[in-house]
Amino acid sequence: MKFKDKLKSDKFLITAELFPPKGTDISVFLKRAACLTGLDAVNVTDNQRASMRVGSLAMCKLLLEMNIEPVLQLASRDKNRIALQSELLSAAVLGIENVLIISGDHPNAGEYAGTKTVYDLDTIQLIKTARLLETGVDLAGKKLSGSPKFCVGAVVNPSAEPHELQALMFEKKVNAGAEFFQTQTIFNTAQYKLFLEKINHSGVKVLPGVTLIKSPKFMQFLQKLPGVNIPQEVQDRINGACDPLAEGMRICSETIRELRSFSDGVHIMAIGMEEYIPEIIKNSL
Amino acid sequence: MIITTKKNQEEVLNNLKGRQTVFIVGCGSCASKCGTGDEKAVAEIKEFLEKNGKKVLGSVILDSACDMRLAKKDLVKISDFQDASAVIMLSCGAGGQSVEKISGKDIVSALDSKYVGSTERIGVHRQFCSICGTCILSETEGICPRTRCAKGLLNGPCGSFVNGKCETDQTKDCAWVLIYEKLKKNNKLDKFLKQYIQPKKQSEV
Repeated sequence: MKFKDKLKSDKFLITAELFPPKGTDISVFLKRAACLTGLDAVNVTDNQRASMRVGSLAMCKLLLEMNIEPVLQLASRDKNRIALQSELLSAAVLGIENVLIISGDHPNAGEYAGTKTVYDLDTIQLIKTARLLETGVDLAGKKLSGSPKFCVGAVVNPSAEPHELQALMFEKKVNAGAEFFQTQTIFNTAQYKLFLEKINHSGVKVLPGVTLIKSPKFMQFLQKLPGVNIPQEVQDRINGACDPLAEGMRICSETIRELRSFSDGVHIMAIGMEEYIPEIIKNSL
Repeated sequence: MIITTKKNQEEVLNNLKGRQTVFIVGCGSCASKCGTGDEKAVAEIKEFLEKNGKKVLGSVILDSACDMRLAKKDLVKISDFQDASAVIMLSCGAGGQSVEKISGKDIVSALDSKYVGSTERIGVHRQFCSICGTCILSETEGICPRTRCAKGLLNGPCGSFVNGKCETDQTKDCAWVLIYEKLKKNNKLDKFLKQYIQPKKQSEV
């Protein structure tokens, strides 16, 4: 069953994400991907943190060849409306149906501070553009010879305050045509449940992001990211653990177990530790 | 007004590339208000250039360097301007190019043009407008997200604002949080939800 069809089922959906290599050596990527064959879909990031890497499209194609259903992340940061539409058509031609529309981290946060940003379309406009292409025309009003079919996803940050503004944005993205959502990382499932209660999510699936904290140092990095709040209890557990990775895995499994009771699924971000995802999932049952 | 800042003086000297005789043109409009093109700024660059062996033939502060009619009227009659091998411009880029257009002289800019700014208090400017050519202030509660959102998002925020501040600069308000707060105060959140702003055409030249 395709991811698009699974979105209509009651299945607890599990996705994860991989980042493309910085350089042409794809061996590590493929090794990590091989651990994720049992998942419902796997995202490939689009120059995350505004760094420069292999494109998401190329790596999504490699996932398809491994019988893994990819989710192409498409940031509006680096491409104008010509390139964005072209990328969407390219994905469709390669058999990549799932696209996650994001604005993308601002370059000032990354290794290319000062580069020219594009943001020609915003996320709402890009979601609508994907839906427009499906009708057989492009933004210039020109007819397409053969139209694509997408499963369009978007993101929401349940931790960003004011929550009401994120809830409104969520609704706006649904109205624009988003079918599923993946969220910024959450650690507090009770808080996430409260957010879910505030939004009208009928008809779309929301997969909250769960991040594997692999070390105290990594936790410090995470805390610096915008909108990430790690509860004191989680911090104490990681800082006090003899084996922080094992503790991080336990926290992940516990969070997923809690989510299973009320969430549509989960999106696991293991950030280079994807080999542990199968065990995390197993221990969440 | 156009906000300008002074270039590093060494850069100006390097850009003169061996030319010995110079004429300095300041601007009495925006650059004077910024303190970058007024009499004090002209005197400062003059002193620096003379210390470094350049011969400053003269200087003038135009009312508006970007008004070609005025620039032409004021400059053509100055023989020192005509004799100088380079013109040091203490104005925005529009002023520099106006003087180049009416005189054909070699222009060396001593300022960087930053943005169109509003003055909050002396020396403190805010970038509120991008001169995009397609104003949406009536749709966004008088707050321009194209300029004041780091990503220029027209239909709502990204997910990276923290306590109402922008992810790129914790001292900068998230434009969309400002718009949201104003809409909420005026019971107009429905407008945010229903409004869709189309992709804008870039300003036509």
